[in-house]
Amino acid sequence: MIELRHGRARLALHRLRAAAGTPLLLLHELAASAAMWEPSAIEWSGPVYALDFCGHGHSTAIAGGGYTPELLAGDADAALAHIGGAVVAGAGIGAYVSLLLSAGRADDVAACLLLPGRGLTGGGAAPDFRKPKVEFMTTAQRMTGAGCDPMVAILEHDVRPPEYVARFAGNARRVVLREDGASRPPWWEALRTLPNAAVERGDLNECLRRLDANSPASG
Amino acid sequence: MKECRAVGSVRRIVEEPSYPGARAPERRASVESVGLRINVVEWGDAGAPPLVLCHGMFDHAMGFAVLGPLLAEQYRVIAIDARGHGDSDWADAYTWPLDIVDIVNVLRWIGRPSFLVGHSKGGGQSIDAAVAAPELVEKLVNIDGFGPPPFKESELPSPRGLTAFLDERRAAAERSAWRPYASFDDLVKRRGQQNPRLPDDWLRYFVFHASRHGEDGWRWKSDPHMASHGFGPWTPDWVGPAYAALRMPMLAITGSERDTWGPLPERLLAPRLAFAPSLQRTAIAGAGHFVHMEKPVETARAILDFCTA
Repeated sequence: MIELRHGRARLALHRLRAAAGTPLLLLHELAASAAMWEPSAIEWSGPVYALDFCGHGHSTAIAGGGYTPELLAGDADAALAHIGGAVVAGAGIGAYVSLLLSAGRADDVAACLLLPGRGLTGGGAAPDFRKPKVEFMTTAQRMTGAGCDPMVAILEHDVRPPEYVARFAGNARRVVLREDGASRPPWWEALRTLPNAAVERGDLNECLRRLDANSPASG
Repeated sequence: MKECRAVGSVRRIVEEPSYPGARAPERRASVESVGLRINVVEWGDAGAPPLVLCHGMFDHAMGFAVLGPLLAEQYRVIAIDARGHGDSDWADAYTWPLDIVDIVNVLRWIGRPSFLVGHSKGGGQSIDAAVAAPELVEKLVNIDGFGPPPFKESELPSPRGLTAFLDERRAAAERSAWRPYASFDDLVKRRGQQNPRLPDDWLRYFVFHASRHGEDGWRWKSDPHMASHGFGPWTPDWVGPAYAALRMPMLAITGSERDTWGPLPERLLAPRLAFAPSLQRTAIAGAGHFVHMEKPVETARAILDFCTA
C-alpha cells in the first residue's frame, strides 16, 4: 500500500499489479473501496493501481464531513501525480470523478472508462429548492456501519447538472461509457453526443481492451 | 491580553483594544457538530428568548461584540464561530451544506425556537438553515447576504478552471498555516485593505479576536484551507428560488453605500427577494456591506423592531 497526501487526508493507493506499460488507475463506487476490484480478473497489459477515496477503505475520513465529487477528484489527482500518466476507470461516484480528472488533467489521462455503480447519480440534474440542504444527514445515519465514513452520504445528494458537465467534459481526450441497457443519469446521457465519447456494451475487460494500447482490440 | 516575544528577550504586550460599545461575552460554550467543536459566545439573560448570530466569510463571532450586547437587552444572544473561523475547530474541507448542519446543530443545542440573524455568507446560510429546520426558527434576518452577482463568462466552470482547482488541491497538501505577520499593526493594515470603510479602532478590536501570536509572529486564527478556490456546479441563479421554501418572515437589511462586497444592484436584488413569501426590507443609511459594524445601533433597532413585532 502506498500512502499519499491530499490536503489533510492520508490516502491509500494499492498497487494491484506491477508491470511495464501504461498504468491503469481504478476508482471505486460509493461506500466501497479498492477491494471491489479483483486483481486477477482485470485484463490489462500494464501496471494496475486502485485508490481508496477519502472516507473509504484504508484512507482517512475528512474531519467535519465536507465530501464533494470535486474533492474526490483531488484524491484521484494525488494518485495520478504519483503514478504519472494513466488510463482511468471508475464505477459509480468513481465514474463521475474519472470524468472530472480526465477533463482537468487531459495531458496525463489518455482515456477514461465510466462504469455504473453506487454514487453515479448524485442528487440529480437540478436542485430541488423545496428540499432542505441537510437532507444528506438522514442518509448518513443509514450508512452508519457501512464500512466507510457515513458522511460520504452527501455524495448521493450533490447536484450534477448536464450543462455543468458539458462545460468541461469535452476537454477529456477519450471517454468510454459502458452501457448495459439500464438507465443512466442526465449528466451521463449528455456525454453520449460528445465527439470524444463512445459507448461500449461489452463487459469490463472488453471495455478495457478497447483502451489498452497493447491490445489488438484497442481503437 | 496577548503576550509576544518579538526579538531576543524583548517582550511586548498587546492589550485587548477597546472599542465603544464592544463588550466581552458573558458565556462561552462548545457545540459538537459532525465531530467538530463549534464555539459560541453569548450575551444577555440566559432565560430570555434566543437570538442566534452567524457571521460572514473570514469574520468571527466577536465581530458581533457591539451588536450582540445591544440585542441582549431583550434576547439571549448566541454568536457562532463558523467551522474554520474564530475559536471553532478547523475542518479538512469546507462546503456550504456542512456549515448549514453546524447552524442547525447549534439551534438544536439551544433547544427552543430562536430568532436567526446572519451577515453576508452567514446570511445566506441562515436562510438555508431556516429552510432545513423551520420548527427551530421564529423569524429570520439577513444582513446583506443575498449572494454574488451572476457569474461572468470567465467565472463559469471550464477545463482551465478545473485544472486550476486540481493544482490548488495539490498545493493544499503543503499549506498548513497563514504566513506570519511581523506585528499586530501589519495584520490590522491587511484587514483594513479589505474593509476601507471600517474605522481603525474597530479594526484593531476585530483583528485582535481574529488572530493569535506565536513564536514567529501574528497569524489569522481562520483556516488557510478556506482560501482555496472551489470548483462545482453552484450558480448564483440558485440563490433566489431557495427563498421560496421559507416558512417564516424574513427581514432583509442592506446598507445604503456601495462597498467591496455589496449591496447588489436593486435590479439583481429585487428579483431574488421576490421569492420570499413574507418579506420586510430596510436600508441602513450611511452603511456599507458591514452594516452591523458600521451602524450597530441602527441595525439593532431594525432587528429588535422586526423580532418583537
